[in-house]
Amino acid sequence: MSGTPLLALTGLAVRYGNVQALRELDLEMHPGELVALLGSNGAGKSTTLRAISRLVRPSAGGITWRGRPLARASTEGTVRLGIGHCPEGRRVLARQSVATNLELGAYLRRDRQGIRADLERCYERFPRLAERRGQRAGSLSGGEQQMLAIARSLMGRPELLLLDEPSLGLAPKLVAEVMAILAELRRDGLTILLVEQNALAALAIADRGVVLEAGSVSLRGSAAELLANDALRASYLG
Amino acid sequence: MDHLLQILVNGLSAGAVYALFALGYTLVFSVLGVINFAHGAVFTLGAYFTYLLIGGPVGANGALAGFRLPFALPFWLALAVAGLGAALVSLLVEATAFAPLRRQRSDPLLTLISSLGAGVVLVNLVQILMGAESYAIPAGTLAGLPAAVNLGGATVRTVQLLLMGIAALVLVVLTLWLERSRSGKALQAVSEDPLMARLLGIPAGSMIRLAFAISGFLAGVAGGLVGLSVSIAGPYFGIGFGLKGLGVLVLGGLGSVPGAVLGGLVVGLAEALVPAEFSGTKDGVAYAFLFLMLMLRPQGLLGRPQSSKV
Repeated sequence: MSGTPLLALTGLAVRYGNVQALRELDLEMHPGELVALLGSNGAGKSTTLRAISRLVRPSAGGITWRGRPLARASTEGTVRLGIGHCPEGRRVLARQSVATNLELGAYLRRDRQGIRADLERCYERFPRLAERRGQRAGSLSGGEQQMLAIARSLMGRPELLLLDEPSLGLAPKLVAEVMAILAELRRDGLTILLVEQNALAALAIADRGVVLEAGSVSLRGSAAELLANDALRASYLG
Repeated sequence: MDHLLQILVNGLSAGAVYALFALGYTLVFSVLGVINFAHGAVFTLGAYFTYLLIGGPVGANGALAGFRLPFALPFWLALAVAGLGAALVSLLVEATAFAPLRRQRSDPLLTLISSLGAGVVLVNLVQILMGAESYAIPAGTLAGLPAAVNLGGATVRTVQLLLMGIAALVLVVLTLWLERSRSGKALQAVSEDPLMARLLGIPAGSMIRLAFAISGFLAGVAGGLVGLSVSIAGPYFGIGFGLKGLGVLVLGGLGSVPGAVLGGLVVGLAEALVPAEFSGTKDGVAYAFLFLMLMLRPQGLLGRPQSSKV
């Protein structure tokens, strides 16, 4: 990989009070890559995403976007720069319609025609959302809500998509469906940082993986290397 | 039955004021999850602004005794300008009593006290400048309109019709804005999930200021209309309305726009049904009624059942 990375984390550390949630994380993301951030509950995966979106302030280290430090950006600012964050638990706006959720995904965009075209494309990609566009998002099934959350993030036309545990609570068939969509998005050129506990599913579509353990990196490598790693197999893949 | 019609009109027009009041509370509550206790003071200021803008003189007791503006606006214009002035005051309340605490990420409940403080300061400022006396907006102010019309046997004062009409208009416009417009939907997103709203790029601060500005405008207009309808009974007169508006808010369902209006009308009607010889017990009846309703329906008339998040 050459050139300035899209996103670079150097020595990133986050603490919540006395708890060191993340320490010394180095990570570079280049355009078009799908990187899986793996590890068990509380390993610091979501914290990493929250730091990139400026929802938490790092206690040390830096984040750069296209070589420029993000230290002074607001959360809204990171969205404006092209960082889409699809958080844990989907967080669809349950009281709003599917269509409104999608429209709000494009909140910062002003190109009405582009938004309409993307909405049509989104309904093609997610036909079930098209069927339910007038329904309240809260009435959708878990799988549909996950699709909506991803689709909503895409409506903002991000360059980098931060995706937090999209497989959580979904049946295996739906997990496969979500992963297939992510693989498709990657083929279309989207850069994705995928946080997952389901390491096998994530590595099947990722270029590279980073494994966190109690806030520190314990393993990193290409997806193929990690899938062949015995230690990883033992602790995460069962 | 003429009598009943009269009660209905009186009740609905009083209820319209409560509704405008509660709508202002509702907007701020929906984005912040707290009550703005300075809202009653903003209402008071709207009434005083209106009075001054139509060219009314300051009485003998205030620091500004004898002062009057060098111009006199027609009532409509005065009411609109007073509404804008109240919106500015409301923004000032947000900037002094809410924003600093929010920036420090302190418990939102603390703003109950800071906003109460801001309200007391505003009311005292009015008292210092304009004295504690009551002011009346002259009845002849509604140029060109009759003071009252006869409606099937009931005497309806024009200002009562205005109050009802404006409350209805505000309800429709506010609902359309919240449901249809980009900024209205964004405000609802902040209301439902502030964190997700930020991740969608919605600037929470701007949305909060927008809610304060609109709620201040509504309170200011309501204050001016009440000033015309029953006079301005001194700097504290907004407080009583403020408390009742709070009751209305809870009755209608916290955060519900149609609930605020329905709650206002119900309380207005309940008061109007109190016979004239017992008019001293009006407030008691209104609050007793509120109490009973909440026993039966704790989430309010149109509120969503409150689920406590664990």
